[in-house]
Amino acid sequence: MVVTQASPPRLSRWLMAALPYVAAVVISFLAAGVFIAVMGFNVLRAYETILFTSFRTPNGFIQTLLKFVPLTLQALAFTVPLAAGKFNIGGEGQMIVGAIGATAVGILFAGAPGVLLLPSVLLASVLAGALWAAIPGWLLYRFGINEILSTVLMNFVSFQLINYVATEIWPDPAAGHPTTVPIGEGALLPLLIRRPPLHLGFLLTIVVAVLVYIYVTRTVYGYELVATGANPRAAQVYGIPVQVLSVLALVLGGAMAGLAGGVEVAGIHRRLIEGLQSNYLTLGILAGLIAKGRVVAVPFVAFFLSVLEVGASAMQRTMMIPGEMVIIVEAFIVLFILLSEVIRRR
Amino acid sequence: MDAQLQVITFLRLVMITLVPYVLAAQGTMLGGRTGVFSVAQEGIMLVAASVGFLAAYYLGGLLYGVLAAMLVGGIVGLLLAYFTTTLKMDQFVIGLALFFATAGFSSLAYKVAIGVTLIPPLIPTLPDVPLPVLSQLPLVGDIFFRHNVFVYLAIVLSLVLYVLLYRTGIGLELRAVGESPLAADSLGVNVTLMRYVTTVVGGMLMGLAGVYLPMAYTGTFTEDIVRGRGWLSIALTFFGGWNPHFILLGAFFFAGVEVLAFRAQVTNVGIPYQFLLMLPYLATILVMIPGFRWARVPAFLGRNYDREKRAQV
Repeated sequence: MVVTQASPPRLSRWLMAALPYVAAVVISFLAAGVFIAVMGFNVLRAYETILFTSFRTPNGFIQTLLKFVPLTLQALAFTVPLAAGKFNIGGEGQMIVGAIGATAVGILFAGAPGVLLLPSVLLASVLAGALWAAIPGWLLYRFGINEILSTVLMNFVSFQLINYVATEIWPDPAAGHPTTVPIGEGALLPLLIRRPPLHLGFLLTIVVAVLVYIYVTRTVYGYELVATGANPRAAQVYGIPVQVLSVLALVLGGAMAGLAGGVEVAGIHRRLIEGLQSNYLTLGILAGLIAKGRVVAVPFVAFFLSVLEVGASAMQRTMMIPGEMVIIVEAFIVLFILLSEVIRRR
Repeated sequence: MDAQLQVITFLRLVMITLVPYVLAAQGTMLGGRTGVFSVAQEGIMLVAASVGFLAAYYLGGLLYGVLAAMLVGGIVGLLLAYFTTTLKMDQFVIGLALFFATAGFSSLAYKVAIGVTLIPPLIPTLPDVPLPVLSQLPLVGDIFFRHNVFVYLAIVLSLVLYVLLYRTGIGLELRAVGESPLAADSLGVNVTLMRYVTTVVGGMLMGLAGVYLPMAYTGTFTEDIVRGRGWLSIALTFFGGWNPHFILLGAFFFAGVEVLAFRAQVTNVGIPYQFLLMLPYLATILVMIPGFRWARVPAFLGRNYDREKRAQV
C-alpha cells in the first residue's frame, strides 16, 4: 500500500466544500426573512411552510417528486451545453415543442397499442425538442449568432405555436383554456405508485441523469465537451471539433427539455395545455447555476428546489405570501455561492 | 380609410413603438462599449415597469414613476457593475441571476402592493406634446412631432450618444476601455469608473424603457407586459453594430415589424394570428444573420479587466 501525502480527513474536506453552500442558503433565507417580516407576515411559519410541506404528507412528497422530474430535465438541458461554454436559455420552448410533438403522435395514433405508442410519444418529444434547439445551434455554427439570444427568441415563437395547436388543430372546446383533446390511452406513462400517483417519468429522469453523468465524466466525447468549455482555443489546437461539439451540446440539451414536455403530457396532463411549461426553465437554470454546472450535483439541487417550490405554493395558498419570493431567494443563493468563490480566491 | 391616412397612422405608431427598443438598446450599447455585457434587460424592464407604475399610482404623478424606474434600473446596473467589474464574476451568470431576481421582484412588488383585483388600477397614460411650429407641418408634423416626451427623448438621446461617443474626448476614452482596457489604463483612463458609470446609466435607460410600457400602452402593470422586448433590444444592439445612430435606424425596423404584426392581426389578413405574433421574433432571428456578420463588437465585450494580472490578451 502506498502512503499518500497527508491530506485532511475526508469528512472535514466534504464539510469545507459544503460550507459555502450552506452559508449561501442560510444568508439568502435570512434576507428573505427580513423582507417577509417587513411585509408583516409570520417569518417562522413561512420558513416552516417552505421547508417542510414536502415531508409532512405522502401527497406533498409525491408532488415534490413530480416537480423534480421536469425540473431535473430542464436543469440538465441547461447544464450540458454549459459544460461546452454555451448558454441554453431556450429550454422553455424546447419543452413546449416537445410536448407538442408528444401530443401530435399521441392523438394521431391514439388507437395504437401502448408498447408502440408510449415509446413513440416520448421519442417524438425528444426529437421535437432536439430539432427546436438545432435551429439556434445551426445559427451559431453557420453564422456565429449568440446562442443566448436565439434560444430565448425561439421561446417566444413556441408560445404562439402551442396556442395555435391547442386552439386550431386539436382544440377541446369544452376546456375554456387553450387545450387539446386527450391523447390515446396507450400513450400514458404507467404508474410507479398508485396513490398518490407517481408516474414512470421519475425513473426515466434518474436514468437520463445517470447517463448524462456517465457521458460527461466517463467518456472521451464528454471529456472533449468539457475541454471545449474550459478553453475553446486549446481544445481546437488539439483537434477537438469545438464548434460541432457546441452545437451537439445544444441539441442534446434540447432533447432533454423536449423529453420534459413529453413526460408532462404523457404522465400528468394527458393532453396539451397552454402553460404546461410552468416556470421550469427558470428553476432549471437556477438549479444548473447553483450546481455550478456540475452534472453530478444537478439532481440533488433540483430536488432541493422542488422542495422549495412545493413549499412556495403552499405558502402562497395558506399565508398569501407571493410564491415569487422563493425565486428571488434562489437567485440570491446563486449570487452568494459565486461570492463565496471570490472570497476563497483571495 | 384612405391610403395616405393609413400610412400616416402606421408611421405614427412606429414612432411610438420604437421608444422601448431604442432606450433599452442604447443602454445595452453604452455598457457594452466599456466591456460590460448585460443580459438582464428583460428583468430590469419588468421591475422598472412594476415599481415605476406603483410609484406613479401611489404618489399620483407620472414623474415619480419615471424617477422610480430610473432609480431601480440604476441600482440593478450598479449591482451588475459591482459583481463584474469589482468582483470579476462571469457577466452572463450574474446577468441571468439578476434577470431572475428582478423578474421575480416585479410581480412580487405588484402582488404585495395591489393584490388580485377584478378591475386593474390605472394611471393616466403619457400625454402628447405637439412641438410648436414643427407639428403644423403637413404630413411630417403628424408623423414626427405630435408625440409624448419619451419619443423625443429617444431620438435626442441617440443623437447625443452619437456625439458623445464619436466627437468628444470622453467618448474616445470610453470606447478605448471596451476595446483594450489595458491600453486605456496605461494612458491614465479610469477603467473601473468608466465601466461603473456606463453600466449604471445603461441600467437607468433600460428602466426608462420598462416604465414606458405601462405609461404609454396599458396604464397598468401585467406580468407579460415586456414580452421579450428586453431580449429583442440585445438583438437590436448587434443589428445596429453597437453604434448609437445605427441602433436608432434599426429600431425603426424592429418597431415596424411589431406594428405590422399587430395591425395585420386586427385587420384579419387570413393568416392565423399566432403566426403574425411570431413575426417580431422570427424577423429578429433573420436580421441577426447579417447583423452578426457586420457588427463590430467591442473587442473586450463580456470580459472583466484585472490590472493586477500579468497576461492580458
